[in-house]
Amino acid sequence: MDILIVEDARDQRMMLTVVLKKQGHRVFAASDGHEALDLLASHPTIRIVISDWMMPNMDGIALCEAIRQSDIGRYVYFMLLTGKSDRQALVDGINLGADDFVNKPVDFAELNARLNAGIRIIELKASLEKKIQTIEKDLESAAETQAHLLAEPRRIQQVDFDWYFKPSRILGGDMFGYHALDEQTLSFYQLDVAGHGVPPALFSFTLNNLLSEGSSASLLKESVSEPPFYRIKKPDEVLVSLNNQFQARPEAMLYFTIAYGIINSRTGSVTLSQAGHPPPLWLSSRSRTIRKIAGGGVPLGMMPGMTYDNVTVDLQPGDRLFLYSDGVTECENRDGEMFGEARLESLLAETFDHSIADMVRRVERDIVGWSGADVFMDDVTYLVLEWQL
Amino acid sequence: MAFEAINKAGYTVVSMDETRLDAAISESFRIYLFDQIDSGSDRVVIDLGSVRFMDSSGLGTLVATLKKMGGQGALKLAAPQPAVLDLFNLTSMDKLFTISPTVAEAIEG
Repeated sequence: MDILIVEDARDQRMMLTVVLKKQGHRVFAASDGHEALDLLASHPTIRIVISDWMMPNMDGIALCEAIRQSDIGRYVYFMLLTGKSDRQALVDGINLGADDFVNKPVDFAELNARLNAGIRIIELKASLEKKIQTIEKDLESAAETQAHLLAEPRRIQQVDFDWYFKPSRILGGDMFGYHALDEQTLSFYQLDVAGHGVPPALFSFTLNNLLSEGSSASLLKESVSEPPFYRIKKPDEVLVSLNNQFQARPEAMLYFTIAYGIINSRTGSVTLSQAGHPPPLWLSSRSRTIRKIAGGGVPLGMMPGMTYDNVTVDLQPGDRLFLYSDGVTECENRDGEMFGEARLESLLAETFDHSIADMVRRVERDIVGWSGADVFMDDVTYLVLEWQL
Repeated sequence: MAFEAINKAGYTVVSMDETRLDAAISESFRIYLFDQIDSGSDRVVIDLGSVRFMDSSGLGTLVATLKKMGGQGALKLAAPQPAVLDLFNLTSMDKLFTISPTVAEAIEG
């Protein structure tokens, strides 16, 4: 192990250096705290410091404090050399971050034993740091997989889709999608699995699979024996199936909210069903009004046997639907104030003349500006669709 | 983190000294509630009077407790504050729980 001795008394410094070298360690030596800090910065392999307390310029305790407050990128095990009368120094030292202490005059057998304990701890920390790095790499790779699952903004039949997706802290449980069910019907959805991290994210991938174009499950569309030999399920039926299929265990309440709808691309008629999701907003292009599409519904996975409502909305040409997750309205600024529904609606009211791409960017700018940060506390997701004749 | 359970008219009334029922405490709260149920409480009222904010994990804990009881006994929610009531309305919690404005009404009803 690479060890740094910090001791102003030359004899002591040399004796410690010789003894530790004999035990196979690589030893660096400093005569005061400032020199010690420089050596720590220039030699990142040093992970153990044995420091005297009484030293000119910067004493051992101040050195320990400086190390703990600095950003040297690894844990350094700090041992303080103290005389028998320095009981208070010992307590102060440990409170300020020293890991252990050795009495002077130094008993080398004891020093060795304490050093070995320190080495065990450093090795544990190093292995932990490596595991954390692996986990973070895995999370990043899962986040990339998640991003690739998302449908590209595009026009399908008479409907344009665009969206914004920014998961919090790498992995979140938000998901959305849209695709054609037949030549005149499109399905679209947005869901939010409760919680953060791997279980909600994995669950969101599963749901995305079931709700997407490639799915062979009969969740959205089933075969029937008479022409046209298929039947598109009503949105409430989809929610009932999902709810009964994915009941959570009490010990791990993995549940999700969802807004699922189908749109007839020839007539603009939308049928929507929701389960505990923020109500989608209907932006009327002619009257320039914004209406909340009535919500409610018990989130899916909570209780079996729940029923849901279908709501029908007849879009006019140029009308838009804005679906969003609660990360949007619950986004906090530096004072802890939430963005809120009122602010979102006022903002959207200014975008009637924007293209949906511009509307998406405008909302993003306002939310990022509001939060004052680059990273959001919760997933921020919104999906816009616009119907044209 | 203080959770408390007292007996009132045959009900176990659970309350907490917290203003936020969120990811930081919801797991501990869930374990606390499950312990109450395992020790035999089958008529529980959760007093939400001090809770100003609840997130998805807090909501999950309430429902998990309901599921744990498996349809036996009763689990009621009392004194939800405005933000919490909004969340209950959004998620139709009235379909799962009896929600009362006060602990007294929860016990009476």
